[in-house]
Amino acid sequence: MPTDFPILTLLVFLPLAGVLALFAVRKSDELVRMGALVVTLAELALSVWACGAAGAGAGAAGAPAGFFLYQDAQWIERFGIRYTLGMDGISLVMVLLTSFITVIAVGVSWRGIKERVPLYYALLLAMESGIQGVFLGLDLFLFYLFWEAMLIPMFFLIGIWGHGRRVYSAVKFFLYTFFGSLLMLVAIISLYLRHGAQTGTYTFSLFELIHTTVPYGTAIWLFAAFLFAFAIKFPLFPLHTWLPDAHTDAPTAGSVILASLLLKTGAYGLIRFGFPLFPEAARACAPLIYTVSVIGIVWGAWIAFAQRDMKRLVAYSSVSHMGFVALGIAAWSPVALSGAVIQMVNHGVTTGALFALVGMLDERTHSREIATYGGIWGKVPALSFFFLLFCMASAGVPGLNNFVGEFIVLMGTFKVAPGAAAGAFVGVVLTLIYTVRLVQEVLFGKEKKPLELADLSVREGGVLAVLGVAAIYLGVHPAPVLDIIKVPIALLTGVK
Amino acid sequence: MTLYLALMLLFPLLGGTVSALAGRKLPRRLVEAGVCAAVWASFVCAVLAAASYRGPVSVEFGRWLSAFDLQAPIHLYLDPLSLSLSVMICFVCGLIHVYSVYYMADQADYARFFALLNLFVFAMLTLILAENLPLLYLGWEGVGLCSYLLVGFWYTDSNNATAGRKAFITTRIGDTALLVGIAWLFQLFGTFSIPQINGMGFLLPHGIVTAIGILFLVGAMGKSAQVPLMVWLPDAMAGPTPVSAMIHAATMVTAGVYLLSRMFPFIGGSAVTCAAIAITGGITAFYGATCALAQRDLKKVLAFSTISQIGYMMLGVGAGAITAATFHLLVHAFFKALLFLGAGCVITAMHHEQDIYKMGGLKDRLPLTFWPFLAGAACLAGIPLTGGFFSKDSILAAVFLKEGTLYTSLYLLALLTALLTSYYSFRLIYLVFFGSQVHVHTHGELKVMQWVLVPLALLGLFGGVLDLPGYLGGGFLDSFFGHQAGGEVGHSAAQEVALQGVAATLAIFGLLAAHWRYGGKSRVDRVRESSTRPSPLYAFLLNGWYFDRLYHAILIRPYEYLSGILWEKVDEGVIDDSLDGMSSGLGITGRWLGRWSTGKVSLYILSFAAGGAVVLGYLAWLTL
Repeated sequence: MPTDFPILTLLVFLPLAGVLALFAVRKSDELVRMGALVVTLAELALSVWACGAAGAGAGAAGAPAGFFLYQDAQWIERFGIRYTLGMDGISLVMVLLTSFITVIAVGVSWRGIKERVPLYYALLLAMESGIQGVFLGLDLFLFYLFWEAMLIPMFFLIGIWGHGRRVYSAVKFFLYTFFGSLLMLVAIISLYLRHGAQTGTYTFSLFELIHTTVPYGTAIWLFAAFLFAFAIKFPLFPLHTWLPDAHTDAPTAGSVILASLLLKTGAYGLIRFGFPLFPEAARACAPLIYTVSVIGIVWGAWIAFAQRDMKRLVAYSSVSHMGFVALGIAAWSPVALSGAVIQMVNHGVTTGALFALVGMLDERTHSREIATYGGIWGKVPALSFFFLLFCMASAGVPGLNNFVGEFIVLMGTFKVAPGAAAGAFVGVVLTLIYTVRLVQEVLFGKEKKPLELADLSVREGGVLAVLGVAAIYLGVHPAPVLDIIKVPIALLTGVK
Repeated sequence: MTLYLALMLLFPLLGGTVSALAGRKLPRRLVEAGVCAAVWASFVCAVLAAASYRGPVSVEFGRWLSAFDLQAPIHLYLDPLSLSLSVMICFVCGLIHVYSVYYMADQADYARFFALLNLFVFAMLTLILAENLPLLYLGWEGVGLCSYLLVGFWYTDSNNATAGRKAFITTRIGDTALLVGIAWLFQLFGTFSIPQINGMGFLLPHGIVTAIGILFLVGAMGKSAQVPLMVWLPDAMAGPTPVSAMIHAATMVTAGVYLLSRMFPFIGGSAVTCAAIAITGGITAFYGATCALAQRDLKKVLAFSTISQIGYMMLGVGAGAITAATFHLLVHAFFKALLFLGAGCVITAMHHEQDIYKMGGLKDRLPLTFWPFLAGAACLAGIPLTGGFFSKDSILAAVFLKEGTLYTSLYLLALLTALLTSYYSFRLIYLVFFGSQVHVHTHGELKVMQWVLVPLALLGLFGGVLDLPGYLGGGFLDSFFGHQAGGEVGHSAAQEVALQGVAATLAIFGLLAAHWRYGGKSRVDRVRESSTRPSPLYAFLLNGWYFDRLYHAILIRPYEYLSGILWEKVDEGVIDDSLDGMSSGLGITGRWLGRWSTGKVSLYILSFAAGGAVVLGYLAWLTL
């Protein structure tokens, strides 16, 4: 590919351009769906193409170490704001996940969404643009813009197409994350001013700001502001309570994107910005992060056990699983961080699939109550097979994807902080307890009431099969992904 | 060798995957033939590997987990221990596959059953052949998953599903201890390779070896149903009988013994760990035997006897007698699979009746079941010259020869257990096969099923030749394992004969006691006996010393209860409401003030302020 080809810009703005295409065909819902599918597939193809650049190995011209695709241009000169996008191994993996999950999200919305179809898909695509921007932006101002921009479509997705107390949940989701973002903005500006005063160059560039000298006392507070914003997104205990509400009331695709992608932006932000900008402060705060992640792991798993609503159960399971990611980041060793990044991907695949499955059951019976189901294995074997597969993946059965992340995180963290890891091991047992309860009460036993259930359609089967293949592939042969993220992690942790 | 090892694993994996994905579309006969062929093909590979075996081999097939210094490749290791177990597993599982074809002939859901059966064989072989601990853990969890799904195979009865769930969760507790042990070893050595770790144990302080050894022991307790994690195995009998034979008697449940034997060069470095293993084994052997005395369900008698026999193996490992433990593991696999498959024949013939008090006189009606079953019971009881006699005796001898009061008392306990074992074995024989006859129903399938028992019976009876005592010409296993056994003390032939004499006397005595107690009873007597109210001691044994009730009261109920409290009262009640309260408080102070009157708000503020103060204090402390 020619080196001046703006592949990163295309990656970020292709979905947004797709919105215009959808506008052109807004009269026909069917065409809108097809259009959205084409756009997301094109985006996926583009992301896969970007892998080629990773394979080429050589860094892009003028790019910081580890970034094989890089784009940098003057934007708002007066404030030193630049349009800087860059892709290293971690970004690549997250971009791939985003493109992949958005295709899935279009797939699961196909029949479920019947009202205001053009607007729905337009929001979905706009959100994809925002998320890709978050994973690629290297100028803190640009990053912040994307960070805020991706919230708005999700707010409307929950508020318009949601269920139950959807407005409450949408507002709650928005307020929580927005409040966190504001603190982060304050920290960004403070860092910007400090750097400007020190060097005379006012800039938002991550790689400039990294060299700012910040006294330890101040760094703690600035890091705390970043951490707070990311911890809400993560979500870390005790800032997680927006998540069950948002998940439960969001439409299926909303839940899928929320769990698979939006939560990852918090973890990504911590890896890309939080820790590198304030290494000492981050190190000092590690015990705090250990504590809340271990509590989150146990807390989420324990409370998931009590849930009656399947979506809420999966939501709490996310709190637990994301605790492992936070644990790996806090340990900040090459192994633990590799585990955290691959756990982000794995959680995205597995939890996305579980939300898709719950959505499919909900579409059939209009109930997400566990108590409605029971003994559905005989009726819908294909759906049940996938349900079992993803539940087992979520429970960390080796050979499936989640095990890889959890195992590497635990091994890596144990080496650095045995005490914290020891607490997390408890989560390994508790996860299985709520998962087998879900499996048993939904799939096994006797039918509680006669349900009109049809097995998977071709579209649904296709969506789940793709996710299933991903889950097994990542479980059996995660080495390629681990290789891609190796260089950036070595650079971040300063290990060769 | 590489090819044999690869194919040994790939055949059952392929068989299982194809049956799982396409089994319902393929003709039934094809699926049945395919899964059986897959396991027997593995057996052929195992035998070929044995034939060409010259010394320990390790083969790497590719990468699995690989992040910086964390490397867990797909790497297999073949040594006498893994080789002998692989051959046994392929053989016993092969026979049980054939048996299952007939046992499950009237089941519609054959594809799921056979897929899981084949995948189980794959996972079990992976466990045995793994060169590194994460790969071993993959097999370890894989067999657990298959066990979970097979115990709950008849899922419409929620009792079966509950039994499967109990097995899965209880063993997961042990598995987690194992995982901690693995993490610790990785922290210390930076490697997962079992042979490497085994070679480096001496570098560590004694205390750490002990601690890691205990973690591995807890892992083994879960999988091998040792006290106090044994509660799942009796319930697991809810699964189809071939599953009980294969997973819960011959292969998976002995994985714990295998794990400890595999890691023995490392964990054997600590005398404390060895003593802990021996105590666990001794107590479990006694526990299982006492419970088996009182059981009325044919399969439960066998389940408790399995717990007890694995206890013996553990005792052997604890005494450092790895060869003896493996010897008993192999022979036990033959005769216990035999007993379960025999029980399957009896249960089929009895129209799915499992209460031994309602059976009787099957000796003449099912001779082809009776004679092999008798052989199995004789092995279990340790009647002289059967395989079970020699293997159990080699463990007893090893324990006897260990110094110290601990091992002496364990030896006496094991002897008492041997007596009980003989008694309950023949109680089973007398109640099921002797006395007045009941109506049975025999059909074509049963005939084939019974023939499967014969090779197992021969192996059980003559399994002793695997490792004969010194005065009878010495053992094959002993020389095969020679270099790695270690810790076994030589003993004279006279001592050996004397010890075997004691064990033989006890076994015969148990037989006679059972004959005296149950031999002459008519059916009417038994039914009367069984309907009387059980004595407290009898109830205590029947209920497995009430461990289930204890765990329910101290673990399960509190966990369930607290999960509800934590969710509704704390997570939604305190955390969520306080955050909500704060966010609404930022904007709408009026409404906030209005809530003062309820008194709830003060709690929120208090809790939130407290939390905030902790975080701020922490940050301030860091600043200073």
